[in-house]
Amino acid sequence: MESRRPPPSPFVENYVVPGDVVLDLSEMTNQTIKLGAGLRQECDTIQATSSGKLRLSKPNKYWVESSQKRYTPSVEDTVLGIVVDTKPDNFLVDIKGPNLAFLPVLAFEGGTRRNIPKFEIGTLIYARVVKANSIMNPELSCMDATGKAAEFGQLKDGYMFDTSTGMSRMLLSSPTCPVLEALGKKLSFEIAVGLNGRVWVNAPAPNTVILVSNAIIRSESLSGIKQRAMVENLLQKLT
Amino acid sequence: MSMDHLRWRPTVNERDFIERVLQSDLRVDGRNSFDFRTLKITLGREDGMSEVQLGETRVMAYVTAQLVQPYRDRPNEGTLAIFTEFSPMADPAFEAGHPGESAIELGRSRAVDMESLCVVAGKQVWSVRVDLHILDNGGNLIDAANIAALAALSTFRRPECTVGGDDGQQVIVHDPEVRDPIPLTIHHMPIAVTFAYFGEGNIVVLDPTYKEEAVMGGRMTATINSNGDVCAIQKAGGEGVMSGVIMQCLRIASVKAADITSKIKKAVDSYTTEKDLKKVKRLPVSVPQKIHVTDVTMENKGDGELETQTQTAKTPSDVQQISKDPAPMVEASSEEDAQPVTDSSNAEAKSTSNPHGANGESDEAQEIGSPKSLKDAIKPKHKRKKKSGRITSYHCLRISAPLPPPQRAFLQDINK
Repeated sequence: MESRRPPPSPFVENYVVPGDVVLDLSEMTNQTIKLGAGLRQECDTIQATSSGKLRLSKPNKYWVESSQKRYTPSVEDTVLGIVVDTKPDNFLVDIKGPNLAFLPVLAFEGGTRRNIPKFEIGTLIYARVVKANSIMNPELSCMDATGKAAEFGQLKDGYMFDTSTGMSRMLLSSPTCPVLEALGKKLSFEIAVGLNGRVWVNAPAPNTVILVSNAIIRSESLSGIKQRAMVENLLQKLT
Repeated sequence: MSMDHLRWRPTVNERDFIERVLQSDLRVDGRNSFDFRTLKITLGREDGMSEVQLGETRVMAYVTAQLVQPYRDRPNEGTLAIFTEFSPMADPAFEAGHPGESAIELGRSRAVDMESLCVVAGKQVWSVRVDLHILDNGGNLIDAANIAALAALSTFRRPECTVGGDDGQQVIVHDPEVRDPIPLTIHHMPIAVTFAYFGEGNIVVLDPTYKEEAVMGGRMTATINSNGDVCAIQKAGGEGVMSGVIMQCLRIASVKAADITSKIKKAVDSYTTEKDLKKVKRLPVSVPQKIHVTDVTMENKGDGELETQTQTAKTPSDVQQISKDPAPMVEASSEEDAQPVTDSSNAEAKSTSNPHGANGESDEAQEIGSPKSLKDAIKPKHKRKKKSGRITSYHCLRISAPLPPPQRAFLQDINK
């Protein structure tokens, strides 16, 4: 098993720029490698086409991760979308991508033609990307793979703001992101993070919501320790 | 429809939340109802160019001027025109080229003195044009654009020009390296302060952000200067507001306007002092020596060549003399500015032989004469343009032709 594993690319967990040769296929035989965003196969090599951090998910998934304000839809991402229009078959949802996404009216748990949900324009939806490629409009679903609702659907109340895609990933990473941890120790709130750079926060008191949203927005470029310090500062100011 | 999906729409959640929060006197970004966002004014790449950042909103202003024919009904005044460019990079809702209301509002103010822009009444006046580029729309464009335009106009310097020629009607524009360009005369600074209304007109906030603007019920812009004069009030549509609320807004606006005026003035002052320091710093610090010069009158040499007479040893002292030039030059030109120039030869005599301070007349004339002659050595072709209409009897310095390169670089930099 050890001998078959492809030699790890020197770039994994490091930053690459377009044109860097990430893997040399001539050294490996009989391997299937899955390429994600930002990588392309050129004859015998795999090159990066966008700049960012090269990530590897065992056993064989490679992709380049970068942080932007715009979102490129990819399958299995959980996103926060805003309903823009309703059609007989689909809701048109804006997910900060190059195209509007379609959310079929039946893609809800127990959804039939009789109980189509009524979403007005401006409704916030937490959904999952089912189909995404550069040519067509992406397709969403409010069910998980097994057909259960699993927290997808409309988000009520609360407040939503925009961040970069890298920030959303950091908020969703495990172990918990320092800023969320520090905030969670003192305040109680719920948040929903979309990988398309949108975050929704809800709490019983509006003060808390404002505090949490400002803390998250400001923690974008701070390291873990600084984030904790910043949160401490904010909390002290208010109490 | 093609651009519609790019337009950002507020969610129902945001709308409700922002309004609910405003009921309890809070704002989403943690400010008080009547707080401005942090204002950062960047001057300093060029005269007449400024970039203003008000929170997330960024606006850049650029001022240019050119000579045109005046309007028939105002033959004594120049013109000021403001153009705004909304780039789709700033906000996907903008389409390129769409004119904004803020441009129109700004263009209407009479803060810049128009009569000082007149060169030849009825024939040639300066037309000043302010180009505003919206780089990022984070809300409250009018205020940010207004501050950017004022800062740019304060640092703009227009080339000096004199009227000359055979008939006294020909206008010569001086190269900025030859004569220091002069600032515009600005009477006062009208500052625009924008208020947003929510919830049937009883909640008012200052300096709305992008999201607050999308959710607001109405907007009012009050333009006030630091003396407390209300220059303009603009309220276009939206909800109705009680008059008591408007008066309160005006009072708040006057306080804020004074604050912002002082910030602009501070930024402009530090920029101008920095520029002046740059001019002086480049030269070796030493006492300027009086140059003993043979009193020679410079004849109209059409071929543009200077004879070489004095030695190169004198040139370092020339360079030092020039260090004093920007100061007296600026004063000379501002005096000229105050009195509209109609008579060419007398004006020229005034400017060249107007003694300021301790130096004797010959030295003074030399100083003003010498950069020209040095300039002439470097750029002979400009001489012909300047020569027309100039009096021929000023003292000048004859120097050896090409200066060694480092000094030439000094000289070119000084007069910028």
